[in-house]
This record gives sequence, structure tokens and C-alpha cells, in this order.
Amino acid sequence: MSAQTDRSATSGRQSADAAEGMTVVARTQAEIIRRRFFRHRAAMAGLVTLLFVIVLAYSSIGVGPIPGWWDKTYMSTASVLDGGRPTLSLVPGFLGGDGIRLGEHPFGQDNVGIDYFALVMRGTQQSLTVAFLIGFVSTVIGATVGATSGYFRGRTEAVLMRFTDVMIAIPVLVFAAILAAAAGRAGIVALGVAIGAVTWTGLARLVRGEFLSLREKEFVEAARAAGTRSTRIIFKHIMPNTVGVIIVSATLAIAAGILLETALSYLDLGVRAPDVSLGSLISRYETAMQTRPWLFWWPGVFIVAIALSVNFIGDGLRDAFDPRQTRVRD
Amino acid sequence: MAAFMVRRLVISVFTLLAASFIVFWGTSIAGDPMSDLRGIQDEGDAQQQIDARSRRMRLGDPIFVRYLAWLGALLTGDLGENKFGQSVSGILGPAVSATMQLVVAATVLAIVLGVTIGIVSALRQYSGFDYSLTFAAFLFFSLPVFWVAVMLKQYAAIDFNNWLRDPEIAVPVIVVLGLVSGLAWMAIVGGDRQRRLTSFGVAAVVTALGLWALSASGWFTDPGLGLIAVVILSLGGAVGATFLLAGFRYRQPLTAALVTAGIGIVFYLFSEPVLEDPNWLMILLLAVIAVGVGLVVGRYVGGIHRRQAMPAAALSAFFTGGVIFIDYLLQAYSTYLSRVRGRPISTIGAGTPNFQGDFWESGLDSIGHLILPTTALLLISFAVYTRYSRASMLEVMNQDYVRTARSKGLTERTVVTKHAFRNALIPITTLMAFDFGAVIGGAVITERVFGWQGMGHMFIKGLQEVDPPPVMAFFLVAGGSIVVFNMLADIAYAYLDPRIRVG
Amino acid sequence: MTIPSNPSAQPQPGIQPGPSEAALAATPDVAAATGGARVASGIAAAKPPSREEVLKVENLTVGFPTDDGLVKAVRGVSYTVHEREVLGIVGESGSGKSVSSMAIMGLLPKNARISGTIRYRGEDILKMSKKAQRSLRGRRIGMIFQDPMTALNPVYTIGDQLAEAVLSHETVSRKQALARAEEMLALVGIPQPKQRLRAYPHEFSGGMRQRAMIAMAVINNPDVIIADEPTTALDVTVQAQILETLLDVKDQVNSAIILITHDLGVVAGTVHRVLVMYAGRPVELGETDEVFYRPRMPYTAGLLGSIPALDTASGEKLRPIKGTPPSLITLPPGCPFAPRCPLVTDICDDEEPELASTDGLEHWAACHHWTRLAEAEDPTKFFRAESEVRR
Repeated sequence: MSAQTDRSATSGRQSADAAEGMTVVARTQAEIIRRRFFRHRAAMAGLVTLLFVIVLAYSSIGVGPIPGWWDKTYMSTASVLDGGRPTLSLVPGFLGGDGIRLGEHPFGQDNVGIDYFALVMRGTQQSLTVAFLIGFVSTVIGATVGATSGYFRGRTEAVLMRFTDVMIAIPVLVFAAILAAAAGRAGIVALGVAIGAVTWTGLARLVRGEFLSLREKEFVEAARAAGTRSTRIIFKHIMPNTVGVIIVSATLAIAAGILLETALSYLDLGVRAPDVSLGSLISRYETAMQTRPWLFWWPGVFIVAIALSVNFIGDGLRDAFDPRQTRVRD
Repeated sequence: MAAFMVRRLVISVFTLLAASFIVFWGTSIAGDPMSDLRGIQDEGDAQQQIDARSRRMRLGDPIFVRYLAWLGALLTGDLGENKFGQSVSGILGPAVSATMQLVVAATVLAIVLGVTIGIVSALRQYSGFDYSLTFAAFLFFSLPVFWVAVMLKQYAAIDFNNWLRDPEIAVPVIVVLGLVSGLAWMAIVGGDRQRRLTSFGVAAVVTALGLWALSASGWFTDPGLGLIAVVILSLGGAVGATFLLAGFRYRQPLTAALVTAGIGIVFYLFSEPVLEDPNWLMILLLAVIAVGVGLVVGRYVGGIHRRQAMPAAALSAFFTGGVIFIDYLLQAYSTYLSRVRGRPISTIGAGTPNFQGDFWESGLDSIGHLILPTTALLLISFAVYTRYSRASMLEVMNQDYVRTARSKGLTERTVVTKHAFRNALIPITTLMAFDFGAVIGGAVITERVFGWQGMGHMFIKGLQEVDPPPVMAFFLVAGGSIVVFNMLADIAYAYLDPRIRVG
Repeated sequence: MTIPSNPSAQPQPGIQPGPSEAALAATPDVAAATGGARVASGIAAAKPPSREEVLKVENLTVGFPTDDGLVKAVRGVSYTVHEREVLGIVGESGSGKSVSSMAIMGLLPKNARISGTIRYRGEDILKMSKKAQRSLRGRRIGMIFQDPMTALNPVYTIGDQLAEAVLSHETVSRKQALARAEEMLALVGIPQPKQRLRAYPHEFSGGMRQRAMIAMAVINNPDVIIADEPTTALDVTVQAQILETLLDVKDQVNSAIILITHDLGVVAGTVHRVLVMYAGRPVELGETDEVFYRPRMPYTAGLLGSIPALDTASGEKLRPIKGTPPSLITLPPGCPFAPRCPLVTDICDDEEPELASTDGLEHWAACHHWTRLAEAEDPTKFFRAESEVRR
């Protein structure tokens, strides 16, 4: 990355000035990255979709005591209308459809008459919360472990990397299932933290690799020669250069997180009844595929929409941070 | 190299040991192992059972002591018993074979398909094919396995079986499939406008006609290849193998491949007594013989080009063998179909209960049961392998040594298959080791959807019942196979990259 | 590496005007006389270049479409390579020197837009079929690349990669091809060639790898060897050896060389004629001594002035050319060198000069003001006034 060389030149020359010089470069660099990201069409589509899903999920049925604009809750039952069929229509009248409207039960009702829209929104809220928690926890642990072992080398590195190897020896789903079996009972926060605590290994290796190469660079040597403290070197000098790798990984961790959480909830090891997540909804209505297929479709569609849009955002971020532009060689 | 492998193995064993304690500990604190007994009305009876189970599970001891006891028993070859007192090794045996079939089939298919398609996608970068594949890969990454599995059960099994009752492809479907196939081939073949249009036309017409012919002749009720199809496919395979491994600049490799395919066809004509009801060992032996025949033919027909002719003929032989194998399977199809009452794609379990049949029929039975779980399991790995090999190939194609190879005047085929391909495979071997663990995790979910009594089922049940021994048995097999797979990846790496052989 | 001497201090008697054949034939002797003693023997002993044209590039242009617009990497290059001649192409990175040679080899990416003609013995390479182009590559025209560390495939042995070059053009057995490979390794000065055939590239040092690359380029006795910065990536101590090996091998196989470099020191005493490129165009072409001692384009003069020489007086500073080359996407209408040129006048900003003949024999330059350089005693002095501050 050209940014690296720019920065190393700046801070290598005058380490006292380094921080100042870096922020100047970093700002212009950030602008370039932002511009590249906003030009990435798939990532933009993903971002819009994700924001739409988030706003829809939290505004419709509200959060905790705050009510939303949707008048039904995910727990109250009502009489089953029209066999519980969805009333949502997206085909406008002039095309021969029923017009664009939500209707009484846009996503239909389940067999006891619970409004399925409210239920799916509740599941989406829970799944999103867990997914973002997983992304946050695994990124913090992964970046810290990777940075520490990459920067300090020696015994610290050996211990941390052996520990990482042990973690990797257990398949992620298996490990997550084992921790979730206990944590799932304690609520979705504990679940998110537990899953985040087993999914950081990939990022730790990536960050360690970045640190191993960056710590040999001139600007780090200069900072070290000037007597800068290790923590300051790690966070002020090296970390900014690995921010691309970390952000991209964090995004992908969220996408993997929602798939992992829903899978565990499907296996009844994640979010437990009476609470719901998108995964447990599929598990609950799996057998309804023949009679009420919409009960099976809606949560799946939401999982795919979230995971796909987050993956596209991640792809856009990766392109923005690490452009493999075709250059003319000479 | 050997020393390196031994060192890796020793480290792996210790890593596995440490990991096994984490798994044991995690399972032990997962909940209350007595929850199923708490509801019993007769309190005295309940207490008695709780005490008995508590003694069996050594709940009085700290977790670490229990772990050591389990480890000690393991060293004597005893996997312990579950909390109901059943021997774990008794449950493990059939579970392992079912799950391993699934995992290995999915992994092998994912590697073969993913790497091939990923490389084609890289060679046709920025084509419609490449864009569609990139989108497909993103979609597959984002699909929940269990959701896909349920859908496959509904549409690929139940609906497909229903369709088989009266298997006819409607004309619009034929047209659409023809167009799709035309578009795909157009993008894969590439080239200038005329060449692209030609490939589109040929592929679309061939596909449509083929589908129509299959539909009209009732092929789906009684499929088979027959002599003509075997001959055409084998000779086509010979030409394809020559194209991939030798090119057409010299006559000898093509001759060798065709001669080998011919020998295979002659064998096919007289194969009835041998292949009536073989076993796997025999099939393996025949495969080895086929490759051997190919090598010998390549050696003598190839002349000074034997280095190209031998692999081409061997691949041709292998392919011809595969065609014959499929032909025999299809011959058994109608018998099998009637035995499963016309529903060949199964949605439950790893085999039809109490099914007895000859080699080919039970082979079909396995395929019918494996096909859907494997597909579900395959999707994500397939996406990973295509993305990875595409990126790897793109990177390699930009390397200086590829430019050097071109500057020597090598054909583009040689540049790709010899210089780029092998280098592109090197990073993929590392992925293999990582991905295998993910497939095992996926198998746990897939087994649940398709009701397999495999290792995944054993794991989930053990975990939910807070019962360490079955979970540990699962982990030993899963972790052990990951270690083995890692070793295979290391060996492949060392074979591909001479730079690390000195280590 | 230094150029022989400071041009201004020792004005040399150039080649007197006369028949052009004589001038070309005379070049080796001149090269020998003016320094480059290291390689002089090689050139002097060899058969001199003839007037037979092997390669003729005419009005070659290459563009690459990018997101920001078309990058005009080469904008109308013409030159001729004669049999057994060594032609130097000099320029900084981005001047189009490598791109034009890649066009000859047909190694440009698919999206490159190429026009003009490249004739190999009268036949236009750009119009040939892919197959005919391929049979030219590696057999009639060999190529040596800049970085030997990455130019060899790490997973195949040296012998395999050499033999492959033979096998792709000739119907011989692998054994014969390997024998030829062994012979070639011996020719480029690799000891124990038979054992080395079985070695992998990572077992070779950088210099050895570049020798192997040379062996690979000449294994089919090509007419032209394109050497793209063959010494740049190497250790200074082995640069001279590799250059010597290259010239030596050239004489053995009687081929011409196009030596592409940014280093005038490599060109001095090595090549017969020099083509200087700037911003995708040739700006000066002539015999080595003509160009070195009587540059007629300020850019060349500036390059010559920026070379450190052993005899540079200690108080004297180097005279770098200020500024950077222009963007190849949005080129201004005038001379691309104008913004950096000390001789710039209004016409330079309006009109791009064509390559035209100057006072020297077969000496061409693209400059509106070449006469001012001809009048000056030391053409490099124009760069001194602005950039030099005396201590």
C-alpha cells in the first residue's frame, strides 16, 4: 500500500512530528478509501439493504419499553385469518396486482395466530444483536492477541500462538455449540460474547502477520529509537496501518456470526424459547414447509439478506482498502 | 521431510490433547445432566437413579479428575460409556462410517469442482461467467446450511420424486435450459464475437436437443448409456484428456489416449462376468489396472513425446473406466427404482433400512441418500474454493514467470496447465486443512436436517444431555481426521513446492 | 558504474560525415577507443553489425484504458534494429521503453490498444496469426527480464525450464533438449552445468539466475534478444559480469540486442546506437558517442548531467533534472519535457517537436531548440544555472 510508504517516510524522517504528519496523510488516505467504497455498487446496495433491515426491525415492534409503529406484538395470539396466509402485496394495481399494501398480517400468521411479521422482526432484532456482538468481541480479542504476539515475539508469541492452535483444532461450530450450550441459557448477550470468544482465531493470525512485517519497518524503528512506549507504538504507529485488515475482518465476522448464531439456534443451542431468533424460527416451523411455507421462507430470506449485504459491504471495504488497480509497468 | 512430518504430528497430538480438555470441560458445564430425571414422579426412584448416574459420571470429583479418568481409559482403548451406561464405541462405529462418507464426498467434490470452476473464472476474468460466479459465490457464503437443506428436501427430493412418476420436460423449460447452457458456454469459451456466437448456438441447440431426446425417449424412467454413448463419451474423454495434458501439436499423445480409450471399450464389451456384482476392492483394482494400461500405452505409442502421452493416456483410461462404472450403475437403476417404490432421492437417513441388493443397487442406494446432504454441505465449501482458487490463479497469472513462459513461445495451454496451475494450487492446500474443519461443523447441521444417525447427531445429543463421553468420542474422530487432513495438505504442499522440501 | 568521462572536459573527435555504412561499421572501434574497456574486446572480436534490418518498428503506439482515461504509454515509436547490432533504449520509468518491447513480444495485456507496425524481416508481427507470433517468440526473438528472482518458475527445475524452450519449437527428444540446455548453461558461465540442470531456481543466486535467463533466451539461437533492464535488480558487483556475459553470448549466437535501461552507465561502451525515450516518445536517436558527447535534446543533456562520475570535482554538485514526467493520461499539447526544460520558449508549449535530423550524422532529436545545444560548449550546463547552489 502506498499509504504505508508515505507514512513511513514521514515518520521516519522526524519521529517527533510523526503523529502530526500521519494524521495529515491518514485524512487524505481516508478520503480516497471513502470515495472508493462509495463507488462500489454492490457494497452500496448491501449498505442500503442492511440499513433498511435494521431500521425495519427496530422501528416496527420497538425496543424494550419503547413501542414501535406496528400494532401487534410477537407474543399475542389472534384468530387465524385466511389460513394465516401473508397479506403483503408488492404488485401495484395497474400491473394487475392487489396494490402495494401491508395488510393485516403482512407475513401471515402461525398456527396459533401470532402475527408472523412481529415474530420475524423480533427474531431479526435478536439475530442482529448477537451478530454485531460476535463481530465486536471477536475483533477485539483477535486484534489484541494478534497485535501482542506479532509485536512482542518471543515467549508471548509462542504462548499465544500455541493457544490459538488449540482453539483452531476444534471446529468453530463445535466449539461455539459447546460454549453456547451453557451461555445460551444466560441470554443473548452471553451468547454473543461466547460465540465471539471462539471466532477470533483467523483475525489474530492475520493481524499477527501484519505486525510481524510492520514492526521491521523504518518508522517503527525510529519510534523505538526515540524511546516511545510499546503500547504507544502498537496503537499509534502500527495499528493504523492494519486498520484495513481489521475492519474488513470485522465485517466478515458479522456475516459469519449471523450464520453461526442462526445455525446454533436452529440446533436449539443458541437463542432459547420463549425468545426467538431467525434460526429458531426456521427450526420451529421447519415441518410447516408443506402446509404454511411462508413460515419457513421469511426468516430464511432475512438471514440471507443480512448475510449477503454484510458480505458485499465487506467486499467493498476490501477493495477500498486494498485496491489491486492495474498499473502500467515500465 | 520425514522429520518435519513427525514433528508436526507430535505437536498436533499435544494440541489435540489440550483441545480435548476444553471440550470435556465445556460439555461438563453445559447444564444439568439430571434434568431428564427431575420430572420423575416417584421421588425415591428418581433419587436412586440420580445417585446411580452420579456415580457412573463421577460427578463427585472435580472436572479435571474426571477428565484424567476419561483420558486414562482412552489410553487403554476404552471410550467409556454414556450416562445411560451404553458403551460409546458401540454407538460410534456406524456413526463414523455414515458421517465420513458425507464429509469426504462433500470435501472431494468441493475441491474438484471449486478449483476447476475458480480457475476457469480467473482465466475468463470480467466475463459474464465470472460475474455470475462471483455473485453465486457470495450468495452461497450467505446461505444458512440448514435452510438450504430443508429447501433441498422439499424441492430436490419430494418434488423431484413426484416428477419422476411422469418424467417429461416441458418445452419452455427445455428452451430456457438451452439458453442458459448457451450463455454459460459462450462465456467460458470466450474469444471474438463470431466464436462466442458459435459457441452459444452450438451449446444451446445441443443442450435443448439432448434434453428433448432424453425426455421423449423416456430416459428418466429407464436411464442407461449403452454401447454408443459409452463409445462417444470415452473417445471424447480421450480428446479432452489430450487437450488438457498434452495439446494437439503432436500426433502421438492423441493416438495413445484414443488407443487407451479403445482398449477400455473392448473391455466393456466383455466386462459382464467381471462387473456383474463386484466389490469396492475390485473396482479399486480395476482403476489401478486402467491407469497402468494407460501409462504403458502412452510409453510405447508416445515415442519421444511419451512424457506428454503417458499422463494423457492414463487420464483417458481413468475417464473411460468412470464411464463404464456409471453405465453399470444406470443399468441397475430400474430394478432399484421399483424397490424404493419410485422414489430414488431419499430425505431421511444414510441408507434405506434393511436394504439388500447387489453392489450396483446398494451403490445407487448410497448415492440416493448422499446426494442431498452432500449438496447442502458442498455449497459453502464450493464457494470458498472457487473464490480462493480464482484469486490465486489471478495472482499467479500476473507473475513474472508466467510472462517468461509466454516469452519462450509456449502455447497458452502449456502456460496455464503447466506453469500457472501448479503454482496456483500451492496456497489452496493450506485452505484444504482449514476448510475440512468447517465441513465437519456443517455435517453436524446437515445430519440433523436429514435425520442421519451420524457423529453429528451423537455430538448434539451428548451436548444437550450434558454427557461428555459421546461428545469426546465425536471430538476425537473429528479432531483426529482434521490432523490427518492437515498432514495430507502438508504433503501436497511439499510435493507442489520444492522450496519447502528442504526443511 | 560510470560513463567514460565528462563530455565537456574532453571533447572527442566524433565520426566524420561520410557514408552511413562506414559510420555504423566504425562504431565498435569508437566504442573501444572511448572506454568501456570491459566489453570492448567482446565487441571488437565479433562480426560487426550489418545493414540488414532484422526488426523495424514503425509508428508504434500503445494505450491502456483505465478508469481515469486512456494511458498513452507509447506514442509513436519508430526504430530499426540491424543484424548483430546492439541498440540501447534509455528512459526513466513510464517512458514507454518496456511497453514497446513487450509489444514486440506480444506480451501486453489483452486490453492494450496497439497500432503501428512491427516488422520482423519485413513481415508485420502485429498482423500475424497467434500461432505465427508464438513461433517467433523464444525462437527468433528471445527476452531477458529485469528481476531474475521472480522470472523463473519456482516449482520446476532449471533444466526443465530450459529444455521446454527447445521442445516448444523443435521436434527433438527431451534428452537432446536437455543436452542443449547443458551446453547453454556452460556458455553463460555456470559451473557444473550437468548438475545444475536438476537444481531449482531457489538454489541459485541472483546472478546465476540471470545467467540462466540469458541461456533460456538464446537457447534457440534468436536473431534478436530483448534485454529489459537485465542488470537493474542485481548486486552492483555482478552487474558488469552479467552485461559481459550477455554481450559474449550475443557474439556466439550472432544475434542483435535491444538493451533497455534507465542507466546511461550501462549503455556507455556497450551499445552501438542509443534511443532516448521520454513520455512515450523517442526524443533522441543516434550513435552512442554522438548522443553522449553531443546531445541535441535537453532531456538527454540533463540525464548526462545527473550521472555521478568518479572524476566529478568534490565541490561540484550533481545536476538533477527538476520535476517529474507528465501524466500519460492528460498530456499537454506541446513538448512533454517543456515544464522541466531550461530552454523552454512559447513554441514548446504549443507544438510537440517531431524527431528530426540534426547536425550529427544519423543523429535525430525531437527539440525545437537543438541548435542552442549545438552552439553550447557544454550542453549539460543549462541544468546547472537553476539547480546548483555553490557552497
